Amino acid sequence: MALVRLIVLTTFALSPFARAEPQQDMLFFTSVEGADMYAASDPALEDTDIHAKVDFLYSYNSDRFRFLAEYILSDEESELERLQAAWKIDNKTRLWFGRFHAISKYWTSEFHHGQFMQTSISRPAMDAWEDESGPSPSHITGVWLDHEHSVGQQSAISFGLAAGLAPKFAGQQLRPLDILSPDSGHDLAISARLIYRPDVLSNNQIGMIFARDDISVVSDSAPNLADLSAIRLRNIGVFANWSWQDWRLSTNWTYFDIDMHYNSGDVPENFLMGYLQAEYQVTENWTIFGRTEQADKEDNSVYLQLLPEVIAHRGMLGVRWDFADSQALTLEAAATSIQGDNFEHEDFDELRLQWSAVFP
Amino acid sequence: MLLMVQASWAERAVVLVASKDFPADNISTLDTRKIYLGVSVAIDGKNIRAIRWYNDERLNQIFLQSVIAMSHRSYERRLLSMVLKFGSPRPVEVDGQDELVAALAKNPMSIAYMWKRDAESDTRLKIIRVLWQEN
Repeated sequence: MALVRLIVLTTFALSPFARAEPQQDMLFFTSVEGADMYAASDPALEDTDIHAKVDFLYSYNSDRFRFLAEYILSDEESELERLQAAWKIDNKTRLWFGRFHAISKYWTSEFHHGQFMQTSISRPAMDAWEDESGPSPSHITGVWLDHEHSVGQQSAISFGLAAGLAPKFAGQQLRPLDILSPDSGHDLAISARLIYRPDVLSNNQIGMIFARDDISVVSDSAPNLADLSAIRLRNIGVFANWSWQDWRLSTNWTYFDIDMHYNSGDVPENFLMGYLQAEYQVTENWTIFGRTEQADKEDNSVYLQLLPEVIAHRGMLGVRWDFADSQALTLEAAATSIQGDNFEHEDFDELRLQWSAVFP
Repeated sequence: MLLMVQASWAERAVVLVASKDFPADNISTLDTRKIYLGVSVAIDGKNIRAIRWYNDERLNQIFLQSVIAMSHRSYERRLLSMVLKFGSPRPVEVDGQDELVAALAKNPMSIAYMWKRDAESDTRLKIIRVLWQEN
């Protein structure tokens, strides 16, 4: 709580140095989703869920400072997702500090918790949140330097470098620092991102990411962690987002290099995860989309075995209807594989229906 | 006859305006588009801010087609995305000329678009670019 007060007070205490009237903005991203999982081979996997969610976003801007807070409230969680403040060093450079989303995760950096903003209902498995068996950190508490270098009149190269506190691994998931109730024992996370945008007025971009996370393990939080003291994650990836006429392609491929630090010795492993999503805007209001998610060598991963719901492969198709300016109904069907016991896959089909909106 | 033609022409034009204290006499169409799409454009280190009209549907339609080159929905999604990703403020919205002039006076680094006939009749404003005119 002291850290939260420090971030908020610093921002507002320094804001009188602004020379122009500050601006504020508030958004509410809401969604209600029903999901049905069907598995002919294993009825134990079958499930039907309905979830409602509200994501509240607040931003405050003055000439030199910016403040952003994002809070999510759902039937499953209540969490301060982002609390970050930025000092504008110059017109193209900002130094952020606080709790922010990992810059090494492209989908997360684009859509955060704004469900309405992403065309599909589901997120790619490699960008899943920590509490949804996400294989890499989504939340970092620390500092992030962000700079954009203009190339000609309309192109730009963006560079980001972040360092901070990585999540711990406890139970069956990565657990980031809770800024409202901070605990000790978090180790170092470093990440970098390089993006080329041929036209800053569009969303077209290609980029690279790199991250190194030292994950401390709470060994007594689960039987299968008893002998594990730490996990070192390194990942390097490429991504692209490209729109052309009525089409949009989005892709991200990331190589994970992992050292599992057991009391009895280190065990290295590596695997590749990636996805390709295509969207076609049939009319102003209707979009059809599909995504394939693939992985290589994930079957041999001891690390992924620690994450019970991590999705290894998925083939998905969907349709979205946008209406009333800021609301959407989306239907999505997928054939999915998750890591099961003994490094085997467990297969099931998913059907999801979602209403999403943003206000005001 | 000439006066009638001039008045008719003046009615069918959209211009970019600022307060008399705005430090430039012209902004390119590209920079105007950048400003309204949330890309930082600065003069002497100060960011230029955008002001939009809330209730003039025809004016907004011309502005979106001629300057932003986006549909209303795509433009709104772009602005939302900038708030969500970076906390970048959306353009200030005004609901009348007096409110517009007050907003420009409050922040002299702001720009706005409006009908040329209304801009020319208001001595508190200066026209810094013609964005659209009907041929």
